[in-house]
Amino acid sequence: MSQEKILKDLQNAILEYDSGAAVSAAKAAIAEKVNPLTAIEKGLVPSIEKIGDKFEKMEIYLPELMLAADAMKSALGLLLPLIPKGSKGVKATVVIGTVQGDVHEIGKNIVSSMLMAGGFNVVDLGVDVKTITFIEEAKRSGAKVIGASALMSSTIGSQKDIVDYLVSNKERRKYGVIIGGGPTTKEWAKEIGADACGMNAVEAVKLAEKFAKGR
Amino acid sequence: MVQILDVMEKALNGKPMSETDYQLKLFAPKCQEKVKEYKIKYDPENPIPQDNAMADDLFQAGLELLVDVGAFCTSSGRVISYTESEIKEALKNAPSKLHFGEGRDRKHLVNRKVGDKTPPWCLLGAGGGPCSSDRSFLTLVEGYAEIPETNAITTPAITRVGGMRVRPASPLEVLAAMRNAVLAREATNRVGRQGIPIMNSLATAESDIAFAAALHPKFGMRSSDGYMICCMDPMKVDFARLNKVAVALSMGGHIGMCFGPLLGGYSGGPEGTAVSNVAHHMMGLLTYQSSWLLPFTIHLRYVASSPRDQLWVISSMGQAVSRNTHLLSLNLNYTTAGPCTPMCLYETSAAVTSAVTAGLSIESLGVATNKHEDRTTPVEPRISAEVGHAVAGMKLSDANELVKKLLGKYESKLGAPPLGKSLFECWDPEARKPTKEYQGVVRNFKREMASLGLELKPEMY
Repeated sequence: MSQEKILKDLQNAILEYDSGAAVSAAKAAIAEKVNPLTAIEKGLVPSIEKIGDKFEKMEIYLPELMLAADAMKSALGLLLPLIPKGSKGVKATVVIGTVQGDVHEIGKNIVSSMLMAGGFNVVDLGVDVKTITFIEEAKRSGAKVIGASALMSSTIGSQKDIVDYLVSNKERRKYGVIIGGGPTTKEWAKEIGADACGMNAVEAVKLAEKFAKGR
Repeated sequence: MVQILDVMEKALNGKPMSETDYQLKLFAPKCQEKVKEYKIKYDPENPIPQDNAMADDLFQAGLELLVDVGAFCTSSGRVISYTESEIKEALKNAPSKLHFGEGRDRKHLVNRKVGDKTPPWCLLGAGGGPCSSDRSFLTLVEGYAEIPETNAITTPAITRVGGMRVRPASPLEVLAAMRNAVLAREATNRVGRQGIPIMNSLATAESDIAFAAALHPKFGMRSSDGYMICCMDPMKVDFARLNKVAVALSMGGHIGMCFGPLLGGYSGGPEGTAVSNVAHHMMGLLTYQSSWLLPFTIHLRYVASSPRDQLWVISSMGQAVSRNTHLLSLNLNYTTAGPCTPMCLYETSAAVTSAVTAGLSIESLGVATNKHEDRTTPVEPRISAEVGHAVAGMKLSDANELVKKLLGKYESKLGAPPLGKSLFECWDPEARKPTKEYQGVVRNFKREMASLGLELKPEMY
């Protein structure tokens, strides 16, 4: 199978929200010794960027965005381990979740999918995530950015816990901490010592790009 | 009749499924399937649709969606399925009239129809918006209780206790929920409306333990209040929410399920969001044992009810429900703009007009997306109620023209709305009225509304 055909298959798998096809195309890329970075940059990324644009314009909606992100994740799961760490072209890892005591997931899912669409390696911890889990997963995955979502005015305090924990353990400089969700504001981010507040998914991705380069 | 034990039996024995599969592989495609099958179509030229056949198709699509996908229990990881006959029985047995409140503030919430002249039930206040202090909480609730059209109050949410920010399921949340109940009663007592019902139960109680704790009679909540319990989008429930249901039922309280399918979320575009809203009405009767419903459908991009396609969703699902059932349904609306701005008043007017002319009552409102502490005043719900009373009985075609004119005033600014002023910057708590500046904004707004064809009550200031 030609490299051109494999790249086309990777692109189509994302555009058709098809995880199975994405895995098959990634396996074909590996079997045919296509450079995994090329497979990602020229196969997966252009399509997931298109998906992100369409979602932003509300030409597609959350289910399509999440299914495309799932397909991307499936292919990345096979291709990323083949790329040496620190290689040029691979974006940083972001650990993201909804904070402890809060089970709202839609906003977090949108940001998670849009980050993936932006080419980040995303570790999505789900909802009701303990503070220590954010930190441990960030360490384990070598993340540069921690994203903490909260939808309730009663749960945003847990965003402060993440920052406090990092400060207390002298690890604050290692991670950019971006907060988001219904009741969060830029003022709240400043008050608790977070690096930024993403007021929407697009802004969250831009902030992740900024802090992925280091604080 | 499906009761709470039946719900639990279904939650424990229904089809096992992952939450992701339920949302993405069952709910989302089925919702779109119903849109296609019934040819539901959003028309941006007519934000208030006037097609009875489409409203009836929308109702059928919603009913079938619930039969096909059921609800999902995240605690047990199982689908809670309902048969068509269970759903129809629940619709038949649902009340068409309920009493809330006590003494001279005891009023009837009644079913409304499309174009109904009966004024909407006005559940007024902050819709759980965050407030920074006891002072702002009391100021707001006193103000809401003094609005002549207020049938019931939706309180703000307390965010701090003893200077500490509330934490979920902690003693701080329990104490804050208790304080929410006590202060809400105190505020209504202070202005002589002791019997007025509080219908968002305890805005500060997100956890089941805080909800249950604050219902002790000594904190002042009554069985004649309304017990709002929020559903997770789409069609989801967990044991904590079912705990709240069991507790509210034991109080003899009337439960209202609050549900907010996002336009652009799992339900897709405006058509799917309308179908989903209809299905949620029926799911609420069964899963949450609701006797009244609170659709709170907002736009994913703007976090508000006022965009054109969102107004269409409110009206179309309202028409579908009010033409085909006798349910008690109140639409909660959010604005993007803040207090002391004309835009905020135009936005709430458009959303209220869409809801009331479609046969719904109203909960009004979340101001400036309900995100900022103390960025709300008693003026915005008062204006919403005055508009709600003024448009009761209006034909859908006239509502459509009015809403289009209102959209012309704010639609282009939705992306960067003015946040306006905070509570104490534009409301005088001693005089119990808005500042001179805000009085001017309201007078100008009313003049402009009159020029659009809607005469509102003269300002009393």
